[in-house]
Amino acid sequence: MLLLKLRELLGVVLLAFSLEVFCQEERLISGPGSTLTENKCKICHELQHIRRAPLSRGEWADNLRNMKERGTPMSDAEMAVILDYLSTYYNRDKPAPAPSADTLAAGGDDPVQKLLHANGCAGCHAVSQRVVGPSFGEVAQKYAGDALAAEKLATKIRDGGQGNWGQVPMPPNPGLSEADLRRLVGWVLSQK
Amino acid sequence: MHESRRKFLAGAAAAGALTALRDVKAQAAPEATVSNEAIKQGKLPSMQWHSERPLTGSVPAHEHDFDVTPSDRMFVRNNLLTPVIDIYAHRLSVKGLVDKELSFSVFDLPKMFTTLTLQGMLECAGSGRSAFRPPASGTPWLETGGMGCPKWGGVRLADVLRAAGVKPNAAHVAGQGGDPGMVPSAAPVIRSIPMRKAMEENTLIAWAMNGEPLPWVHGYPLRLVVPGWVGSASTKWLHTLTVLDAPFKGTYMNNSYIVPRSPVAPGEKMPPETVSAEAWPVKSMITSPAPNARFKDGGSITVRGRAWVGEGEVAKVEISTDEGQTWQPARLSRDGDKYAWRSFTHEFKPERPGYVTLLARAWDSRGNAQPAVPYWNPLGYFWNGWHRVGVVVEA
Repeated sequence: MLLLKLRELLGVVLLAFSLEVFCQEERLISGPGSTLTENKCKICHELQHIRRAPLSRGEWADNLRNMKERGTPMSDAEMAVILDYLSTYYNRDKPAPAPSADTLAAGGDDPVQKLLHANGCAGCHAVSQRVVGPSFGEVAQKYAGDALAAEKLATKIRDGGQGNWGQVPMPPNPGLSEADLRRLVGWVLSQK
Repeated sequence: MHESRRKFLAGAAAAGALTALRDVKAQAAPEATVSNEAIKQGKLPSMQWHSERPLTGSVPAHEHDFDVTPSDRMFVRNNLLTPVIDIYAHRLSVKGLVDKELSFSVFDLPKMFTTLTLQGMLECAGSGRSAFRPPASGTPWLETGGMGCPKWGGVRLADVLRAAGVKPNAAHVAGQGGDPGMVPSAAPVIRSIPMRKAMEENTLIAWAMNGEPLPWVHGYPLRLVVPGWVGSASTKWLHTLTVLDAPFKGTYMNNSYIVPRSPVAPGEKMPPETVSAEAWPVKSMITSPAPNARFKDGGSITVRGRAWVGEGEVAKVEISTDEGQTWQPARLSRDGDKYAWRSFTHEFKPERPGYVTLLARAWDSRGNAQPAVPYWNPLGYFWNGWHRVGVVVEA
């Protein structure tokens, strides 16, 4: 019995550790456009591809056109922001400036939109259409009529998961405050 | 090998593979894709994973010291996700510029066409990319990663195309596989190869690797095997062959797997004039000793390796132990299937203790040698520089 508990504990510790590593790796230098760039690029691949090989502006432009043709869901306006960001912070011809706040992070003053973008939710989820993960509408419908919906969804957002909507894992968000988590849960469940 | 014996062995391997396919079916997971963890279980623990999304991995040169690459050492490279496909429901369609469109089940193929097994090289176009300076964009393959030479069991693509009747204006054949993307908008991975390569007797529609059903990640249940050419030509999870009057137009033909028509300065962007990446140039690697292996002074060192070329023959392999100032011929085995790698050995007796660098350089039958450093290109394809392994001779 004790052995079993120890084993479970070890499992949780290992999981937390590997998630920590996962989260640390999945960041770019903070700067105007970094959040949007992270959200779009990591839909399909890890960010190490960007960090490992800085390119010239011309190559980044080619690269982004290629990714768009491969199916990255991004508008021309978003592509322009990402091109500016990448050719500033990952340019083989000039050193990157010091990290600064991502002043272009989407969301404006809406607290929910801010949370969705600051935590990378918007990279994989949209309100009404499926991107990588389910749409917020689909999630709301799944929990419709479930008395424990708020509890279950809060756990899902905080701890992450895999398998309900496919094999692409949803990363955990352990840093969310209780208040922010409640705010997100309430908003998602209202998107039916 | 004698033709009748070869045929018999091919048939036996194919039959064994089809029996084993039923066992794999029983283990199939219900989800639409195979998890990275499940794929990794089929691979060596020493395999180095270069990225998780999409999954790419390979073993270093000293783990390749085999005449036939074992399946657990074969490199993994996906553009998208690995699909779970029901072999019983799976169909292969042949359409486009043909006299009659055809559709086969996996089990129709060995009944209708001559089955064969042949050993053939597959190597990712970006294999070796991490050696380019400045770094080129893409999967950071090791200098000697991203390739392998297993045995493939299947039928000739040419036989299947002949059965459909190829029209005179046919120029290319496009292969399409069933790998799904992360987003619904993901472009399908479609690559086409010219008719002359499609009709070559070594180009296969394969269902077996090393006498067993293709592992999920290597294209189960059917794939193309276009040996000697960049790996992306060998469409995995193959479901449609389309005969075209020109190369297929799509992002995996026009934006990827291209090199400048004329060399560009390192760091320059892709010029407008490009050519499609097809056959690999001559290449070799030292598979033994391993880097930093230690030897006693006074003994001799056996250098062993593999050499290959995408079109033509490997003519010779040379070893240098003085940083390329002088080269000695290695003993090269010349037997084997046309697109299989060749093994080479060389005995070397160090004159004094210390650190020794072993270099390998192969030549093809057209007089091309591996360069010390190949032409830089924006997507980092076709690295075939001299392979370098340093060892220590102890006093």
